[in-house]
Amino acid sequence: MPLGFDIDENLCTECLRCLAACSLTKLGRVQLPLARIAVKRQWPELPEIQVCRFDDCKDQPCIDACPVEAISRDEKGLVLIDRDACTGCRACVEACPYGAIWMEENGSDFAYKCDFCGGEPACVQECVTGALVQKGGS
Amino acid sequence: MGRSSMQDLLIRIDLSNRKASPWRVPEELKAYLGGMGYGTKILLDEVPPQAHPLCPENKLILTVGPLTGTTAPMNPQSCIVTKSPLTETILNSYAGGFLGAEIRFAGLDGLILEGAAPQWSLLLIEDGQVHFHSAEAVLGKSTAETERYLKERFGADVRTLSIGKAGEKGVAMASVFSETRTFGRGGAGAVLGSKRVKAIAVRGTRGVEVARPEEFNAAVRENMEQLKAACAEEYNLVGMFSRVGTGAGMGLVNGRGALATRNHISGSFDESPGIDGYAYADKFYTRAIACYGCPVHCGMLHKFTRTDGSSSWLRGPEYETMYSLGSDLLNGDPVVLAEANQICEEYGMDTLTTGVSVAWALEMGEEGKLKEPGLELEFGSPAAILGLLRKIGEREGIGDLLARGPKQAAAASGCDLGRFMQIKNSGFAAWMPRRMKGTGLAFATSNRGACHKRAPIGAEITGQIDMDAYEGKAALVKEIQDRVNAIFTLVSCRFHEFVTPPDMYPRLVTAATGREISLHEFLAVGERIWNLERLFNIAVGFGRADDQLPERCYEPIQGEASEGAVMERRKYDDMLEEYYRLRGWDEQGIPTEGKLQELGIPEYARLGTR
Repeated sequence: MPLGFDIDENLCTECLRCLAACSLTKLGRVQLPLARIAVKRQWPELPEIQVCRFDDCKDQPCIDACPVEAISRDEKGLVLIDRDACTGCRACVEACPYGAIWMEENGSDFAYKCDFCGGEPACVQECVTGALVQKGGS
Repeated sequence: MGRSSMQDLLIRIDLSNRKASPWRVPEELKAYLGGMGYGTKILLDEVPPQAHPLCPENKLILTVGPLTGTTAPMNPQSCIVTKSPLTETILNSYAGGFLGAEIRFAGLDGLILEGAAPQWSLLLIEDGQVHFHSAEAVLGKSTAETERYLKERFGADVRTLSIGKAGEKGVAMASVFSETRTFGRGGAGAVLGSKRVKAIAVRGTRGVEVARPEEFNAAVRENMEQLKAACAEEYNLVGMFSRVGTGAGMGLVNGRGALATRNHISGSFDESPGIDGYAYADKFYTRAIACYGCPVHCGMLHKFTRTDGSSSWLRGPEYETMYSLGSDLLNGDPVVLAEANQICEEYGMDTLTTGVSVAWALEMGEEGKLKEPGLELEFGSPAAILGLLRKIGEREGIGDLLARGPKQAAAASGCDLGRFMQIKNSGFAAWMPRRMKGTGLAFATSNRGACHKRAPIGAEITGQIDMDAYEGKAALVKEIQDRVNAIFTLVSCRFHEFVTPPDMYPRLVTAATGREISLHEFLAVGERIWNLERLFNIAVGFGRADDQLPERCYEPIQGEASEGAVMERRKYDDMLEEYYRLRGWDEQGIPTEGKLQELGIPEYARLGTR
């Protein structure tokens, strides 16, 4: 089964529990700007949920955009950034059609994105309306 | 000091001198937990009770609590405490949305606004730094236009609060808006206007940690399961809110003859099925919108076509507004109701006191006692309703009279105050004391006047207890007032407590802050705050004579289901006296020294001496 998210923005209430859960899982604290998922408010229109689509992303342009081959897709379908190899050039941020790759702006300048929490995304557990549902993984 | 969700830091903003300075929370304040507790204690310590609410001497304190910005569900709110220009009592007022969390992400527990700015100002608060800007470009603009301007100017990610024209012009019931959530009650918008603060934008990028993560996360998971279970139940009130918003219960209230209609003359409204939550969900495109971290998402965004044919949208109306701009005005048209709600948003006015004022004006108009050129004052007339609302916001003609608040409006016009549905000058929330005796006592004894947030509404309206009975209501009201005050220190949503068992609060607070607190101690904080508020009001000049219902409550209700229901004066007085006794107050409603000693606040006894 392909890996990714079933996303229905009609169901998103913009509560941001997904962002809170993501940052709590990754950083041990709630810090929304550093979450690997974002919900762009566009009232009164539907929000845009910005997160890596994995196998639903056609061509996965971030992989080709990276000049140092720091981004790769593994056998499970996880698209991951190798922090050690990342030079902080931002090419992947520009290439991502979903606006789902960001830069750490604390001097280290690494790119970061969703890693599907290795197979069980924390954000999905928090979504009570089903706007964000897991596909594949374990 | 270990980790805590609380930052122990507020910012004092001296508007007169355009200076901001960090203020470390003193140890004795920490016992008040946060939110309403912080605001109340600071106001008592720093603002003289005799201060004029619209003078620089008054302060406006905006606070959050120990659960704000964490993953604990249903704690999105922030709290304003100030001296109210409407009631002249101490005021606490709340808004949900995202502002509270953003204040916490900025590394703060709150803001204290002092003095008055020399020119109209916008404040930008970024991670604890305060920047002063001119508000010239948005003067006279609506709350929504002001919010748009702030986001264009300071970035789409800022969270905001703003006032509209009503706040600028000192309308006594002006409110403060925060992205369609509202600090509705008591005129905080006029206080902000008197300080020449048009709006505040906040951006916070910092992290929030808790003292005991494992304990905290386990409690959050448990609380989430409780809330999810409630939302899945067909007849759970919170579940109904989750599906169609707070207007879900209107049919029930109407059926019980407790839906205030036509300025509270009647207790039922035939057209209510056309304006309740289900009607809006049915007739209009509807999308649920949550406050920060809330799984209930009771906010409903509706798109609709206005009477002039233009397309528009509104987050709401909320239940209370369906009454105040609907049934109470004999307005059964959901579009007119939505437009009336929009006018209140645009000008920045409390839909409750404003709607109640319109209801009174319509009744006086029908009796020929009030007139306004160009407007036929009649219940149910869209032109009269929308016209009066705009006139209040603009302070034009009769609107200027109503903008001063009920007592002044009645005195200046020579019309009957006894039919103005107000207590301590604050307009009635959507409930009828004649039908719900405990709620009546709660309205009358409320420190901010006619307050529905600390009343036994759920128990009375669902028939869990006998709504018409007087017995046992005094004890119930005291218990709810203290308990809700305690949860407003956090600052939890009022609906959170409909589902969450009481012991969840001390568990969450202890795990978030690392300061052990028992349920008993937690509830005692609520009672301590209630008494501090009362002392402030006593020092202003309030007393037993102000803990009374308007005359209309002693006249029988008309209309089906509750025909003839009435508050009996002698029984009301008995209930009030019992309430004072249970509170440990004297027969004039003044806290005794013994009570203050017991609550650990004897130093405030001076406020209770006349």
